[in-house]
Parts: sequence; structure tokens; C-alpha cells
Amino acid sequence: MLKKIAMLSLLRSPKTAIQHLLIGDWLTIIFSTILVIYLFQTLWSHQQATKVQIRLGDKVYATYSLNLQQTIHVHGPIGDAEIHIAQGKVRFAKSPCHNQYCVHQGWLTHAGQAAICLPNQISLELIGEEKPYDSLNY
Amino acid sequence: MRKGPTTLLFAAILAIGIFSIRAFNKEPLYHSQSYVFGTLVDISIYGETDERAKLLANHVFQDFQHLHDQLHAWKPITDSHPSELGILNNAFAQGKQPVTISSQLANMLTDTTQLSVKSQGLFNPAIGHLISTWGFQRDEFSAVNIDAEKIKSLVKANPRMTDIVIQNNTAYSSNPDVKLDLGGYAKGYALDMAADYLRKQQVKNALINIGGNIIAIGQHGAKPWRVGIQHPRKPAAIATLDLNDGWAIGTSGDYQRYFTLNGKRYCHIIDPNTGYPVQHTQAVTVLIPPQTNAGVLSDVASKPIFIAAAENKSKAASIFGIQYFMVIDQQSNIFVTKALAQKLNWVDPDVKKDSHVKLITLP
Repeated sequence: MLKKIAMLSLLRSPKTAIQHLLIGDWLTIIFSTILVIYLFQTLWSHQQATKVQIRLGDKVYATYSLNLQQTIHVHGPIGDAEIHIAQGKVRFAKSPCHNQYCVHQGWLTHAGQAAICLPNQISLELIGEEKPYDSLNY
Repeated sequence: MRKGPTTLLFAAILAIGIFSIRAFNKEPLYHSQSYVFGTLVDISIYGETDERAKLLANHVFQDFQHLHDQLHAWKPITDSHPSELGILNNAFAQGKQPVTISSQLANMLTDTTQLSVKSQGLFNPAIGHLISTWGFQRDEFSAVNIDAEKIKSLVKANPRMTDIVIQNNTAYSSNPDVKLDLGGYAKGYALDMAADYLRKQQVKNALINIGGNIIAIGQHGAKPWRVGIQHPRKPAAIATLDLNDGWAIGTSGDYQRYFTLNGKRYCHIIDPNTGYPVQHTQAVTVLIPPQTNAGVLSDVASKPIFIAAAENKSKAASIFGIQYFMVIDQQSNIFVTKALAQKLNWVDPDVKKDSHVKLITLP
């Protein structure tokens, strides 16, 4: 009972709560914050996307550069999907599926982003890569 | 309680260690892309703080946007912000009344006229009507109905840069069929403008890419900037080369702006003599050594080479003194000058396997 009251009083007043923290608590807070920041930077960095990998079923159907503007038709189990590549981005433009979730994903613009049409078993994933050059002349 | 300080110390050292490794691995390279000037523009700045680099890059993007607005070749003049070029074209079509133009545009017109005359009309920015007839004065391209009669009459009308009279910052055309389209010049002009600005701002290392045309300042840290050259038929580079301080590179190709009709490809590069798109060549790349208008040359100089028939390509290259160039013809045969071959690193597996790269001997 006393413990409950003590904990409730901590919640009500941040000032007293802080005063009650032990060195182990501080350690945990500091270290966790550092860890979160570090993970954020490493895992969530937006890498330059250069290509899109299209998968049909469990195989890689094709890989296309994002530099050339083009429309690609992929024939899946339930019908034809139309994929648009334009100016460094890609999207499902048309799909034979009922819910159109894949189309509603919109444009993929960064490496690691993906869109999937489950009923038609087609997926798009943007790939970034260590380029052997700084810029492309075309 | 006594364990507390030791563990704290350990955790602090670990954290400092993690951050230090990350900080030392980051090179001072700022990279930014923007869709301006009707195309993808890519700026890399090395050796500046992120804040400064961002300011500089944004200034360059803004300059490009102004240039784009000023030189837009087909925005209707009824638009709320018509382009200066559009207004001029409209005046040309309507008669010989001189129209006031900015000194910047006047300089561009004088410059392009000189280049056009030098190329004996192979580089001809006055054929806007032909470009429009083929449907290339649009943001997207689709097959057009080919009106042979119309094309014939447009060719016969013979619009030329020399039809334009520029005096006291006014201009008029003696030929109403002149329609200016600076598509083959503007990107190069913008490259020179951006490079000049960055150098004046004491930037020592940068790489500017406007729709594929690239100019280099300084290096990428300890090594030169490296550029890839797009394979005309594959979404990959066919070769790479180092682009040293002040050098520029440009490629004219049939693989970005084109449509197919009845199995034939019609690209945006029109031969002013026939009125039809060039079909014998896939791509021409020119490499320009450091000079005042390296950017302009990297844009303009590839066109005459692209348009000229195979046996005349070397001559077309000599017009602008181009020593480093490559031609890929419609059969995918590759021809390179020895000077450029020495600089290229082939990365396409088919080219590496075959080695059927032919050397061009310059006249």
C-alpha cells in the first residue's frame, strides 16, 4: 500500500521523481538514449536509390535503372500490372487487384522502400548501391 | 553503489567510441538533387560544411530555375509568367518589329549564332517549329503522325540564326519561321554559370550534373571526380573516366527523348537539312578540356557529330576542335578517338569481352 502511494506521488511530481532516481537509473537512461540515436542514424539513413528490383513470385523478374523514364508491364497470376519509372522514382500505376493497396503506396523514392501487390505476387524494391562513379553522364 | 561509477565510465567510453568511429568515417561531401531546369540536377560539393554547401547548392538551383523560366521553349505566352524566349518567338512569328531583350539573352543569341555558323547549320537552335512538329516540345513524348508535307515546307523555310538581327538589346527576325529552342545549349550555359559562381564563392571541389552534362571543379578529396557514361541501350554505365578540374563532358543520345512508331525509333535530335530525326547514331560523347565555355561546348559540340553521316563525323568534330569523343552507331559499334580511349575504363561486360572498340583517326 505504502509502495503504491509512493509510486503515485512520483508520477504526480517530476521534480521529486528525478530526485528519487538512483545512479543505475541514470545510467540506463543515458545509455538507452545514446543507443537509440546511434541505431536511428545507422539503420534509418536515406541512401540514394539508383535501381528498382521487380520480383514476380519468388524470383527476380527484372532490375531497372531509375534514370530512364519508362513504363513496364508485368503479368502476374491475376493479371497485368503497369509500373511507372520516372525521374528517380517508381510506382504501381495500374493493378488488377481488388484493393489497390499497391497503387495507393504511391511513388517510391528512397533506397530500401518497397511496394507489394500480394494478390498478384509482384513487389518493387528500390536499391541503392556503392557506385563506381560519382555521377552519371547521359 | 561502488559499482555505479565504474559502469557509468564504461558506458561513457563505449558511447564516445561509437560516435568517434562514425564521425571519422564521414567525409565532407555534400550531395543534393533537384528537379529544376526541366531535368534532374545533381550537385556534389566537397570540403565545405553542410550548412554552407546547402546554401551554395540552393543558390545554384535557384539560378537554374530562373534560367529555365527565361528560356522555356514552349510554355504558352498566355501563361501568367511567359518566358522571355517565348515572347521573342511570338514576336518573330508576327513580323519584323524589334523587341527589347535582356543583355543576357542578347549575349546568348550572339553566342549561339556564332556556334551555328561555325557548324554550318548542323547546330541550329532556330528550328523550333520542326522540333515541335515531331512532338518534342512537350514534357512527355508519344508517337506523332508524321506529316511529310509539313516537314518539307518547314525545311524549305530554312530558319537560321543569321535571320535574327540583334541591335542595342533588341531583336527581330527577317524570317517568320524562326523559332528559338535553346535545348542544345542551355544546359551547357548553365554549367558554366554554376561553375563560375561556385569558384567565385571560393569552392575548391564540386561536381555539377545537369541532365547528364557534367562539369568538374577540383577533386573528390584525394582522388579525381569519377563519372560514368550511360550505355545507350542498358540501364548501366558503359565506361567510367576521371573528370579533372575544369573538364566537362556531354552526351547526345537517342535513348532519353524519343518515341517508337512502327518499330522505328524517332529521337529528339533533328537533322536541320532533312527535317527528320537522326536514326544512324545511338550516342555521341564529347570530353572538353578546361576553358571558359567548357560547359557550352560539352552541350553544343556533340550535336554536329551526332547528326553528321558516319564518314563526316570526324570533320564535324574538328569544327569545334574536339579531340576527345566517342560515337556509338545504331548497330552498337563503338568508335573512340585514341586520346579518349586512353582515359576510358570500360565497365560493360559485353564491351570488355569483345573489345570491338574501333579507334578513330583524327584528320
